[in-house]
Amino acid sequence: MKKSLLFILSAVVAGLTACEDKIDLNIAKGTSYPVLDAWITTETGQQNIRFTMSVPYTDDNPAPIINDATITLTDLTTGTSYPFVFKDKMYSYDATSKPIGVVGHTYKLHIQYKNETFDAYDSIKRVPPIDSITYEFKKKEEALSGKEGYYAKFYAKDIAGGTDYYWIRSYRNDTLRRLEDNFSVDGTFDDGVADGIPFILPLQEGITDYQKPFQLNEKVIVRLSSLTYTSYEFLKQVNDQVNAGGLFAKVLENVKSNVENTTANGKIRILGRFGTSAVSRAEKTIIK
Amino acid sequence: MKTKATLLLSLLLLLLAGQTTTAQQQRYTVSGYVKDKQNGESLVGISIGKSGTTIGTVTNQYGFYSLTLPAGEHEIQFSYMGYAPYKTTVKLTKNTTIDVSMEATSSQLNVVTVNGQKQERTVNTLNTSINKLDIQQMKKMPTFMGEVDVLRAIQTLPGVNTVGEGASGFNVRGGNSDENLILLDEAPVYNSTHMLGFFSVFNPDAVKSLNLIKGGFPAEYGGRTSSVLDIRMKDGNNQHLTLNGGIGNIFSRLSVEAPIVKDKGSFIVAGRRSYIDLLMKPFVKGDMKDTKLNFYDLTAKANYKFDKNNALFVSGYFGRDVFGFGKDVNMNWGNSTATVRWNHVFTNRLFLNLTTYYSKYDYSLKFTNDSKKKPGEVEQAYDWTSNIINYGLKPSFTYYINSSNSLHFGVQGIYYTFKPGTGTSVNDGDVRVKKITDQHALESAVYIDHEYKPSKKFGIQYGGRLSAYQFIGNGNAYMYADTTPGIRKRLLDIKQYGSNELIKGYYYFEPRISARYAFSDEHAVKVAYSRTTQFMHQLSNTASPTPLDIWTPSTNNIKPMVADQYTVGYFYNAPNDAYELSAEVFYKTTDNQVDYIDNANLQLNPLIEADLLPSQGRAYGLELYAKKDIGKTTGWVSYTLSRTERKTPGISMNEWFLNRYDRTHNLNLVLTHTFTKRTSLSANWVFASGTPGTFADNRLEFQDWDIPYNSTEKRNNYRLPAYHRLDLSMTLKGKQLKRWKGEWVFSLYNVYGRRNAYTIYFKQNEDDPTKREATRLSIIGSIIPGITYNFKF
Repeated sequence: MKKSLLFILSAVVAGLTACEDKIDLNIAKGTSYPVLDAWITTETGQQNIRFTMSVPYTDDNPAPIINDATITLTDLTTGTSYPFVFKDKMYSYDATSKPIGVVGHTYKLHIQYKNETFDAYDSIKRVPPIDSITYEFKKKEEALSGKEGYYAKFYAKDIAGGTDYYWIRSYRNDTLRRLEDNFSVDGTFDDGVADGIPFILPLQEGITDYQKPFQLNEKVIVRLSSLTYTSYEFLKQVNDQVNAGGLFAKVLENVKSNVENTTANGKIRILGRFGTSAVSRAEKTIIK
Repeated sequence: MKTKATLLLSLLLLLLAGQTTTAQQQRYTVSGYVKDKQNGESLVGISIGKSGTTIGTVTNQYGFYSLTLPAGEHEIQFSYMGYAPYKTTVKLTKNTTIDVSMEATSSQLNVVTVNGQKQERTVNTLNTSINKLDIQQMKKMPTFMGEVDVLRAIQTLPGVNTVGEGASGFNVRGGNSDENLILLDEAPVYNSTHMLGFFSVFNPDAVKSLNLIKGGFPAEYGGRTSSVLDIRMKDGNNQHLTLNGGIGNIFSRLSVEAPIVKDKGSFIVAGRRSYIDLLMKPFVKGDMKDTKLNFYDLTAKANYKFDKNNALFVSGYFGRDVFGFGKDVNMNWGNSTATVRWNHVFTNRLFLNLTTYYSKYDYSLKFTNDSKKKPGEVEQAYDWTSNIINYGLKPSFTYYINSSNSLHFGVQGIYYTFKPGTGTSVNDGDVRVKKITDQHALESAVYIDHEYKPSKKFGIQYGGRLSAYQFIGNGNAYMYADTTPGIRKRLLDIKQYGSNELIKGYYYFEPRISARYAFSDEHAVKVAYSRTTQFMHQLSNTASPTPLDIWTPSTNNIKPMVADQYTVGYFYNAPNDAYELSAEVFYKTTDNQVDYIDNANLQLNPLIEADLLPSQGRAYGLELYAKKDIGKTTGWVSYTLSRTERKTPGISMNEWFLNRYDRTHNLNLVLTHTFTKRTSLSANWVFASGTPGTFADNRLEFQDWDIPYNSTEKRNNYRLPAYHRLDLSMTLKGKQLKRWKGEWVFSLYNVYGRRNAYTIYFKQNEDDPTKREATRLSIIGSIIPGITYNFKF
C-alpha cells in the first residue's frame, strides 16, 4: 500500500523532470539454468507446466524449451498421480472432465531431468468468488494518470477466519497476456488488520492499467487465486523485481526456487517455482 | 581497552601537573563574547591574539573566548575574514571581561592579515577532516530551482557524495546515509529533506553556518559513525528589524528578525512553503481534484543575554511534507525539534553550554473509500502512524587552563521512544488496531578532551568518550534461532520486559586523538584516530531511503555499529591567505552495519530483526581540496578518490562487495566571479564515477513474467555510467538602497541536459512485452531553469 503510494508520489515529483530511456549494456553472459513454471489450479481444462532454460535478459528469443524431463504431480492427500506429458512446447495433463486441484490438498511435483531427481511441494487454500466487475468512464483531466478510458473495479470478499493470501491478476480481452498483478492478505495489504472484509479500494481499482485504461468493447477479465504463505512471498518478490524502478527502486535480488534436488551429490539447480491455487474468475465487456 | 584508558588518563594528569608548576608568574584572564556590530550575531572562530606574539585563541561555537596572559599591558587584536580588524589595549591587573563587536567590511575582497596571530585558518587548527561553510559562501553557489540548499552545498566538499539526484541523505567517507548525525542547533534531525530528497529542510534564511566533521571527531560528538553535520541557526538581528525573503518558482520564503531588547536579545522567525499544488489547482478535476503536494517549514529562535555571564537561547523547527489525492489518500511526514540552551560563564576560564532538546520525526498515512463509495458499499478506512521521539540533555564545559591548555568535558543523555507503527483499520464500523510494540532506549556518555598546544609548531587534542547504551522496557525481546545466513531467522520466544527494565546493554570506550605539527606558518601535517559508535539504524533496502523507512534502535539482536577511523592530512595556506590546499587520506573499518536478507520485509513487521544481517564495512580514500576565498574569483575544487565495501554473511557469496554509494572518483568545481558590485556569475561542475548496481544477466520466463536474474549471485557487480553536470547561476543585485536590498538570481541546473542515470533496471517493453530492455532512469532529464527574487528590508 504505502509502497504503491510512494511510487505514485515519486512519479508525480519526478514526473516534472525525470525520464526513462532504453540503454545498451555490456553484460557478461551468465550461467543458464533450467526454469520450472508450474502452477496447478482447481480449474478444469488443460493444466500446463513449462520447463525452459533461462536466457540472457535482453535476448528477445523465446527461452529454449526442455523436452526431455519426466514430470509427475501427486496429490499427497489422496495419493493420486497425474503424469504430465510433453506435447507442443509444454508438459500437460488434460483435466477437462475433472479438475486436479482440490482445496485443502497438498501436492508434490516430481521431476526427473538429466539423471537427477527433484521435488517441490505446495498446497491449495480456499478462495472466495468474485462478486462483480464494474467500470466508470473518466475523461483525460479526471484521471490520475491523465488517460481517457474506462476504469474497472472488481468486488470480492475475504473469507472470514484465518489468514488468507490472494493473487489478483487481470487481463484485457484474452488471457494470453497479463495486465496487472496485485497481492493481498485478507482483502488488504497486510496481515492482522482486517478479516472477512470486502477487498479494499486500491485492490478493487488495481485491475486497470492506469497508463492504458480499458476502451469500449474491450473485455475485463479478473482471476483471483488463493496462495500459501510461501507462494505469496515468492510472487510478491517476483512482482517487486519486475516492477523495480523509480526513486525508491528495489535492488535486484534473485528469487528463490522451491524445487529441491533430491539426488545424492546432485549438481543441477532448477529455478522457478511449483505452486498451487484455487481460482475464481469473472469477466465483463465494456459497453456504452 | 582498559590500558588505553589508563594511559590517556595518566598522560592527561601529567600534562596538567606540568602546567601548574610552570605557572609561576601572576596571570589574569581576559574573556568575553565577540559579535557582529551590524546584526549582533555571535561570531565563531574569530582569532584573538596578543600583538606581536603567537599567543592567542579563537572564539568557540557560541562566540565566547578566554585568553590568559601575564599581568601587565597588552594589545589584543581580533581578526576575521570579512571583518575590519579590531584592536584594544588592556592593562591586566585582574580577570577582565571584554565583549567586542566587529564591523563587517563591505565586501570580502580585502585581505585581512594582522601581524602575529592570523585569523583562524585550517592550517592552524588542531582538527583534521572538518569543513566549514558559512551561509554567504552557500548563497554564491549555483542552485537547484533557485533555492540555496545546505545539503547540496556540502555535497561539493571532499569526501561527501550521494547516490544520485533527489536521493535523500548523503554519504560521507564511505558511510551509509543514516551514519550522519545531523544537528540543527544541537537537536538531531532524522529526515533532512523535503519532497523525497529534492530540497533540504534547512531554511537558508535561518542558517548561520555549518561544520561538517568527517573524521578526527572531538570527544564531544557521538552516536553516529560517519560524520557530524552541525548546523547553527542565526540568533536574529538584535540591532533593528530586518525582513528577508525570496520568491521562487517552487517555493517562497520570508523571515523576520528583530531585537527584543536592543543589544540584549533578539529573535528570528523564518518560514517557507511550496506551492506547486496551488498553482495546479485550477487545472485539475476528477481523481486529481484536491491533490495536495506541498511542504512547509517554520524555523524560529530567540535569545536573551541576562548579564555578562548568562545567556539563554530557545530555538525550534517544524516542517512537514503533505501529499494526497482528494479525501481518499493522505500522507504526511516531518520533523520537529526544540532546543533550549543556556550559556553560563562561571569564571573567566570556565564556560558552560547546557543544552536540552526534543526531536521528533513522524509520518502518517491515511486512506478511505469515502468519496468513491457507491451506495451499498461499506465504509473502509486505514490509518497508519509511526514516530521516533527523543529527549536529550548535554551540559558541556570548557575550561581554559591557560593559553596553551584547555579542557572540554561533559555528559550527555538521550532518552528515545520508538513507535514503529500503529495501523488502524475500519471496515463497516468494525475497528481493528495492529500495533508494533513500542521500543525504548537510553544513550548516555561522559567525555573529556584535552587540547594542548605547547608551541606554535605542535598541538594535540586527545581524550575519550565512555558510551553506554541501554535497550530498555516497556518492550519485547525477540529470541531467534541461528540459521543459515541470508535466510529469515525463526522466532523461538518473545520475552516481555517491564517499564525501564534493562533488556540489553552495550558499553564502549571511544578513544579520540588529533595532533598537528606545523613545519612553518604555511605547512602543517595532522593525524587523527577516532572510534565512534552508533545505536540507531535506519532500515532501508531501496535505492534511496524513503520518508517511511523507520529508524530502529540497537536491540538484543541488532548490535551497535562501531567504527575506527585513521586520518592523515597535509595542509597548506598561502602566506597572503590567497588560497589554501589540503590533502587527506583516511581508512575506516566498521562493524555491525545493518544489511538485509533478500525479500526482507521492513514494513510494519514485528519480526523485522529476523530479516536483518550484520555486516562488516571498510572504506578508504584520498581527498584533495583547494580553496580561494579572496579576490574577484573565489571558490573551491575538491577531488575524492575512494572505495567503500562491505561483507555480509549470506550475501554476494560471502565476499566483499561495493556499497551502493561507492564512487571511485568524485570531482567538484565551485567558482564564483564578481564582475561588478552588482553582478556575479557562479558555476558548479560535478564529475563522479557511476554508482554500482546489480545487473541481470538472465531472465526466467515464469507465469507471463520475465524475472530478472543475476546468475553470478554477486551484488553490485556493475557500475552505472559516470555522472556529470554543470550548473550556472547569475546574481543581479538591484540598487542597494539604504533599507531595501533586492536581487535576482537566475539559475540553470544541468546546463547541458545530461541524463544521468539514477538506476538501471530491467523490464519488458510496455507496448511489446516480447522485447526486453535495460532501462535507465534519470531523475533530472533536462536543463532545469530557476528564477528567484530575494529581498532584504
